[in-house]
Amino acid sequence: MTALFALAPVGPLAAAQVLGAVLLATVGVSLLLPRPRGRAVGLGVFLTIAAGVVAVGFVATSFGGRLATGDLPALVEQGLFWLFSVTALVFGVVLIVQANPARGALAFAFVVLSTCGLFLLLAAPFLMAATVIIYAGAIIVTFLFVLMLSNAKGPSDENDRSREPLLGSLAGFAFAGLVFLTLYLTAGRAADAPPSLLPAAAIRPEDKAELLAAAAELKQAADPATAKDVVGRLGYAAQARITAVVGAATGEYSQYSHGRTLQDRLRPAETDYRTADIIRQADELRRLKKAASDALENAILDPSPDVAPLQARLTELREKTLLLAGRGELPARNVTAVGHALYSEYLIAVELAGTLLLVATIGAVAIASRKGVTA
Amino acid sequence: MITVWHYLAVGAALFGLGLVGFLTRRNFIKMFLCAEMMLQGVVLNLLAFGKLHGDLGGQVFGLFIVTVAACEAGLALALFLTLYRRGKTLDSGAWQSIREAKVPASVDADPLRRTFEVPDPTLTPAGRRPARTEDEVRV
Repeated sequence: MTALFALAPVGPLAAAQVLGAVLLATVGVSLLLPRPRGRAVGLGVFLTIAAGVVAVGFVATSFGGRLATGDLPALVEQGLFWLFSVTALVFGVVLIVQANPARGALAFAFVVLSTCGLFLLLAAPFLMAATVIIYAGAIIVTFLFVLMLSNAKGPSDENDRSREPLLGSLAGFAFAGLVFLTLYLTAGRAADAPPSLLPAAAIRPEDKAELLAAAAELKQAADPATAKDVVGRLGYAAQARITAVVGAATGEYSQYSHGRTLQDRLRPAETDYRTADIIRQADELRRLKKAASDALENAILDPSPDVAPLQARLTELREKTLLLAGRGELPARNVTAVGHALYSEYLIAVELAGTLLLVATIGAVAIASRKGVTA
Repeated sequence: MITVWHYLAVGAALFGLGLVGFLTRRNFIKMFLCAEMMLQGVVLNLLAFGKLHGDLGGQVFGLFIVTVAACEAGLALALFLTLYRRGKTLDSGAWQSIREAKVPASVDADPLRRTFEVPDPTLTPAGRRPARTEDEVRV
């Protein structure tokens, strides 16, 4: 463990937070898990809440938890995120420690609802609706099974005993803690690294370095003394770099549309009844793209480019592109886009999933309908 | 500002909680619910990455995970039904006879506290039962 910490640049604060949260949660949940001798409910609840507070502190200090004052949509997003995540985790703990399986299924329903709220925050309304519908059915069936199969008279082995409460909790929470540490290492120190917003910021520091290198090469290519042999090679290299950095914004090909141009991506929508609106949006997008390209070239030829307005322009362009494809912040055409993706890019996977469902149905019927088998 | 790391952290925490429940609880139905909670954490990860990259692949993967979870639910509940028919219990510890060789059997040391239920109080009948004198009411 110490060797791992020596290898990895984990700050002592983050390591202490993760370790403390893991230990507190392990002891707290193992005290709360059902056992025949009775459980220490007060101490367990206290330790679990303390672990949750420490974990929230870790997330807030490592990944940024400052309230976005003055920006109402960001503030609402933050509030909803914390509300849904804390609700999901609290009811997850209730699901684990509750001895009665019917009450556990009820807690699981709340876990699913809160997670669906997070899905909605992640711009996936179709998946949210599908999850609610499917898991509502699953929970009702689970209730039926509990009513059918559990003998509610007195304590029973399956409900009032736990298998290795301390070691099992340690395994699960240590796994979560290791994932936290990995996230922390991957995210870098959030204090000095710029936050990776959702969707990703258009220009990061390494992108900026790439753009500046491309600018240097373009400048070399523009110089008449050295232009002859380098203009073709370096010019195309710089263009490719810009395309790779900016993504869907300026290049003819986009890394987010699987090598197809924007026009190709828009063609299936031309038969839609909202064609006029889409064409208007596409025209505006093309105009914006040309303006952004010009601005980008000007900035690249400038020895000390002013990146901020360029970044804003590219961000706006990217968001408009994403919005047009139904994939942006506002998921207005999410269902259309998901359906199009499912039946164009993932068709074989859809067929396989259907086959899997069929096989699972046959298997469930075959397993459950065996009669007269006794021990 | 909420970043992708926040969502990844929530997904990891959901997965860890589900893992704890799956490892420690002995009721088959409880273990099944905990496995479903782990899947929810995984779907959260996929959606966060999908939104980070502005790509629909995350949502499509999430849909497939929900599909596989539905298959798993059907098969798992059918298996639970079969096991219950054989052993009359949902305790996974009742099936430890199929454990690997050389693994010691787990023994439940503490006896379960049997709570003896006190029957509901009833009034002792007093006096004599009144005779039925009136005619039956016909409606």
